[in-house]
Amino acid sequence: MERRIKIVLAALAVRVAIAPFFMHSGDLGTIYESSAIALNGGNLYNYVYQQTLQMQYATGLPIFFEGYAYHPLLIYFFVPFYWAYTLVAGTAPSIIGGHFPNLPILVYPWALLAIFMLKIPIILADVAVVYVLSGLDIKKAEIYAFCPYVIFISVVWGMFDAIVAVFLLLSYLTFNDKGSYALSGFTYGLSLMKLYTIVLLPLYVVRLYGKWRDLGMFLAGLSVTLLPVLYYWIVSPISFWNVLVGFQASRVMGGVNLYNFVWIIEDVRFDLLISMIPSILLVISLAVIVLAYGRRLPLLEAILAVMLVSFVFGKVLNEQFLVSILPLMLLCKECDTRLWIAPFIFIFLRSPFYYFAIPILWSSPYFYDLYFQADTIWRSLQTAGYLMIPMYAVGVAFSLLLLWNLIQVLSVSSPAGGALLRSLSRALRIRRK
Amino acid sequence: MQWARDSRLRMKIVTIFFIVYVVALSFIPLVQQLFIAQSSWLGYGTGAYAYQSPSYFVLFNDPYDGSSKPNIHVNPSFAPNVRISIVEFSDWTSYVDGFNLFNDFNVTIRASADGKTLDAAYTRPGLILHKLIELSSNTVQVKIIANKEINAHIELWKWIMTSVNNVTAASTAKPTVIPTSTNINFTFNDQSSNAIGIGEISLSRVPTQIEVWPFENGFNRVSVDFINSEMTFTVSGSIINPGEVSWSYGDLVYALPVIAIITVTVYLLVEHYGEKNKDRTRRSSS
Repeated sequence: MERRIKIVLAALAVRVAIAPFFMHSGDLGTIYESSAIALNGGNLYNYVYQQTLQMQYATGLPIFFEGYAYHPLLIYFFVPFYWAYTLVAGTAPSIIGGHFPNLPILVYPWALLAIFMLKIPIILADVAVVYVLSGLDIKKAEIYAFCPYVIFISVVWGMFDAIVAVFLLLSYLTFNDKGSYALSGFTYGLSLMKLYTIVLLPLYVVRLYGKWRDLGMFLAGLSVTLLPVLYYWIVSPISFWNVLVGFQASRVMGGVNLYNFVWIIEDVRFDLLISMIPSILLVISLAVIVLAYGRRLPLLEAILAVMLVSFVFGKVLNEQFLVSILPLMLLCKECDTRLWIAPFIFIFLRSPFYYFAIPILWSSPYFYDLYFQADTIWRSLQTAGYLMIPMYAVGVAFSLLLLWNLIQVLSVSSPAGGALLRSLSRALRIRRK
Repeated sequence: MQWARDSRLRMKIVTIFFIVYVVALSFIPLVQQLFIAQSSWLGYGTGAYAYQSPSYFVLFNDPYDGSSKPNIHVNPSFAPNVRISIVEFSDWTSYVDGFNLFNDFNVTIRASADGKTLDAAYTRPGLILHKLIELSSNTVQVKIIANKEINAHIELWKWIMTSVNNVTAASTAKPTVIPTSTNINFTFNDQSSNAIGIGEISLSRVPTQIEVWPFENGFNRVSVDFINSEMTFTVSGSIINPGEVSWSYGDLVYALPVIAIITVTVYLLVEHYGEKNKDRTRRSSS
């Protein structure tokens, strides 16, 4: 059998074997709940917005319900698998609740089937990345296929950043290698399933600036993926704006970054205020990178530079975000792909491992009891602040490592540096004279 | 001056800027605690509120949790960052007119405009109840006001009280009604810190019943029953023996800048020696 096929099948087997038994109940529960609403023709954004309004009314605070705050197209990757699940298990709920801070109620054996079915699109995305990478470099494909971090995020957690990863990779390849700008725009649009890749849009525009036909093709491809956005914009503008823009803009900073110190500040209004600091720096740094390095760097390095700078200065950097650029980092000679170790460690500091094993532990009263015994110890460590210290250290270390990688990527450009920095340099010299 | 013509130098400047940025931001929690967080109700998380006075820390949990409604902590003078719970009001186990405060009421929580009073409003058809929480320098006041006369059963938890109004677990092995009074004085041995302290709860009216509930070598809760439209619980307490208090959550604000400085120092050292080794490798290979 061809080695490429072997790796793809091995990556698939590992993921399929793990998938039914683990989940992040908050995130997978959201996908389950949203798939059910979408299949019944409900409006996801109205549902999330109502929950947010209820929370804000109950507490008097500018807080948001953490539900489906993604591109409208995303849910249609999951709905067919949810529908197939209902053909077997029926429509009675099997994963009930689970939104933070609550724990889910699982109905056996159907909950395990639901978890497995909802992970199929993520597994397929992972396998597609392995397949594409193996066509370019078999060693890199192996790293992605068996990276514990990637496997954990995709099939233990059940987070779908692999979908972002595969479309981002395809967008880069079609843009760079084949010049299929319409296809590149289309796949880039699909990578927006998680909105953090939006920072790449100015880069693509700058790269194609002056090549109007190509730019038009790219934007045409992109706009196809935006049609559902337009639909929801017309149908429920207030909900859509609140859930997609309001929530993302009003998020308190934090994650695997230097900003997670904010978690110890018990004041959401202050937290929101200081969360503007990284946002301001993000806009400035993105402008510098895109204008000064956007055309100068090779496309791969330019994409990575923009994504890395958005990870360094972006106010929210969740554990799973790195999966989205890991395939591109594997293709980049300047990057150190061992970077995944930091967010991987962080996962276990933020959430205890047994939290991901709920589908196993909930299956027996003995394990159920053990869960709460372990949780008492975990919570006492958390309440005492012992976990916050390593979380902050890992967050700062990860930010510094991202910066190091960014500097390596930028060093690919000519020693003379970027146009913007040169102009700044000139301006300073003129002032001195 | 020339603006960093050499790209390596430019990247060094970027690194130095970032390191200063990391260290500067790490002081934000300390600054917030010293200058902003004092003596005002502040909301956070999924809707919890907290108040830090010079001697008390009070937590009122979010609407999705029936515990800590409120939880009153004392900051001992010998360790001002340490929070030791004196007593916790529980909505899980408290009832008004037979309705559970957590499960059977809609709750809205608001801090007053001056940030001094927290108002938790509990509503159900025909019944509106307010829990108003205010702090003075020496006490924490939890006032329950209803729109009509209510039959209330309020439970106050502490793990564990060694005596309540001079009644000890040795003298009573099962839930016991103790003589009613407007004062509940108790001693406690805090299970997490092993600190020994005393607490006092003054009631604005004589309740219909006070009951203590034994647990291990003491009591873990006191229930107060009353029939009235208003009742004020005035809570105070102090620590008389510090136990094993060496670290607390409140110390994190001092720890974070230290962690930031250590982490960036390690990064700079690794980067410096890594680059030196790289240069050496380059030289030897050329």
